[in-house]
Amino acid sequence: MFETLALNAPSWSDLRHFVPETVLVVTFLLALMADLFARGRRPAGPFALALGGCLVALAAAVSSLPAGPRSILGDLVVVDGLAGFFRVLFPLIGAITILFSWASGEIMGPRREHKGEFYALVALMAFGMCVMASAADLIMLYLSVELVSLTSYVMAGYMRTSLRSTEASLKYVIFGSVSSGVMLYGLSLLFGLTGETTFVEIRAALLAGRADNFALLVAMVFVLAGLGYKIAAVPFHFWCPDVYEGAPTPVTALFSVGPKAAGFALMIRFFYTTLLSPGGGQAAAGAAAPDGVIVGPADWPLLIAILSVVTMTYGNLVALRQTNVKRLLAYSSIAHVGYLLMGFLMLTAAGLEAILFYLLVYAIMNLGAFLFVIALNNRLGGEEISDYAGLSTRAPWVALMMMVFLLSLTGLPPTAGFIGKMYLFAEVINRHWFWLAVVGALNSVVSLFYYMKIAKAMYFTPGERAPLRLEPLHTAVLILLAAPTLALGVYWTPFKNFVDRAVAGFAGLGG
Amino acid sequence: MIPACPLAAVSTGMHADFATVLIFILFGVFFGLLALGIARLLRPHNPHPEKLVTYECGELPQGSAWVRFNVRFYLIALFFIVFDVEVIFLYPWAVVFRQLAAAPGLGLLALLEMLLFLAILVVGLAYVWAKGDLDWVKSLTARPAGEEVAGE
Repeated sequence: MFETLALNAPSWSDLRHFVPETVLVVTFLLALMADLFARGRRPAGPFALALGGCLVALAAAVSSLPAGPRSILGDLVVVDGLAGFFRVLFPLIGAITILFSWASGEIMGPRREHKGEFYALVALMAFGMCVMASAADLIMLYLSVELVSLTSYVMAGYMRTSLRSTEASLKYVIFGSVSSGVMLYGLSLLFGLTGETTFVEIRAALLAGRADNFALLVAMVFVLAGLGYKIAAVPFHFWCPDVYEGAPTPVTALFSVGPKAAGFALMIRFFYTTLLSPGGGQAAAGAAAPDGVIVGPADWPLLIAILSVVTMTYGNLVALRQTNVKRLLAYSSIAHVGYLLMGFLMLTAAGLEAILFYLLVYAIMNLGAFLFVIALNNRLGGEEISDYAGLSTRAPWVALMMMVFLLSLTGLPPTAGFIGKMYLFAEVINRHWFWLAVVGALNSVVSLFYYMKIAKAMYFTPGERAPLRLEPLHTAVLILLAAPTLALGVYWTPFKNFVDRAVAGFAGLGG
Repeated sequence: MIPACPLAAVSTGMHADFATVLIFILFGVFFGLLALGIARLLRPHNPHPEKLVTYECGELPQGSAWVRFNVRFYLIALFFIVFDVEVIFLYPWAVVFRQLAAAPGLGLLALLEMLLFLAILVVGLAYVWAKGDLDWVKSLTARPAGEEVAGE
């Protein structure tokens, strides 16, 4: 399918297939300008514009789900099923982040400056993530990753007067620039080996056997390092806990789902397009895989499998010892990357469907868990597990909703997390990676322990008894997130169909 | 689109190409060590604290070299880079614009796209201007005093 696309010169009509992204860029610019005219303590203009823009982009994305791959903007960007899925996900994540930031003390508190800028940056980040999901060229890959990274650095250091926040930002910048440099080196090697910048052309060059195997391995591992940093896979995760703890909690919530999902989107597109031969057959060197043949010298699935096991085991084991809930959720998000990587290395449509479905579910439940932390931080001024003592009597419904998120993060029925994990593990077992499935299952058991530490504090540790009332906006968004977490655990067919269509329209698996 | 570079064409010879680089590196390291080693053997050994003082054109050094630079330099440098990069983008565009204008439909597209690019930069300029970041002496907005160590 992809091969039939001709080299396109950019034209105005390209923008018709780029509506959500265009909306997000315009939103960013308008919100920035509105910030200049914002008066008073709360920047209502930028907030309303950014929220409205994200919702319009979401509506545009839902109403224009791409049928097949279409290469636009001079082959820099490809709009296909995969891009269509993620351009729905990212404005949604952006809108939820904007909503709960509005009532968060960490963002809107009296000490904060540049409040309007914050909302503009969320829209810009959503744009960057959408482009990451549809980049089809090395230049666009690098540009989009940098756009998301630069926005992240600013947002991590948003609490300018807080030492923790500025430290998080600085650490993020240093780690980010080093891995970005490593990735850039890998990209330049790749260009040197093939003489091409678009993913499809790179694959053609690799299939023709133009590249030196060893140099290709080095280049690909370097690119993997850059993208691994974006999704915070071990051993590229060192920035993650510190940044997650130091950044304002709404930003942490955004980081833990947005750039991670965008990193996965880019990883899927990049590695599946460059290293998988379409439909199998034209074997170069390498091991046979179900849906095609991998180009190159390494046993890529095994390499990713090791990465996956190390990532989930490390994340879960370190999370066990955490007492700060933000740090705990940071390590748990590392563990979830490990589960997601299991689907990545299956190299099948079913594996990709499982990843996308899990990303959708993960976005909802993880945003929910973080929103709980934000809402309580507003009232209690802290985020240690011990702060939640006796919450079941102080705010029973809120505790119950957190319980739903925790069960879902563990992967227990009847929640969405269970269904997500079920699809992932089913595909792993279908492809006879039994040892991987066993390790994954054991890890889920480990994760149960630390998630239940929070539950134990809420339900069994006696604490204050005075009733606790949250911001109405926070309660509303919590319900908005808890409802699908439960509902998707019971009836998930429409969403699974949505994801299946997205993967069917993915250019990288041969259309 | 872009012809494969010679490196790819002779991929079997690539290791050989890098071997040349390796030899250069090894030779460079060896030469440096050799020079230092010979100097150590020949020179007189006569340490003196004055010899360790930072060289400041013959003057006695004052204070530490580790001073804090005003953060405003950093802002100015950032603005400079933004507008420098803008010019870098404008140049190649200007060079190929005549060819683009010859192609039907592309000329207007190229012109408007560059105008759009400049318009976005103007928004950025207007933003920093209005926020007072172009003033060397920036009036600080009233802010509650005191440093905050942890989160609020």
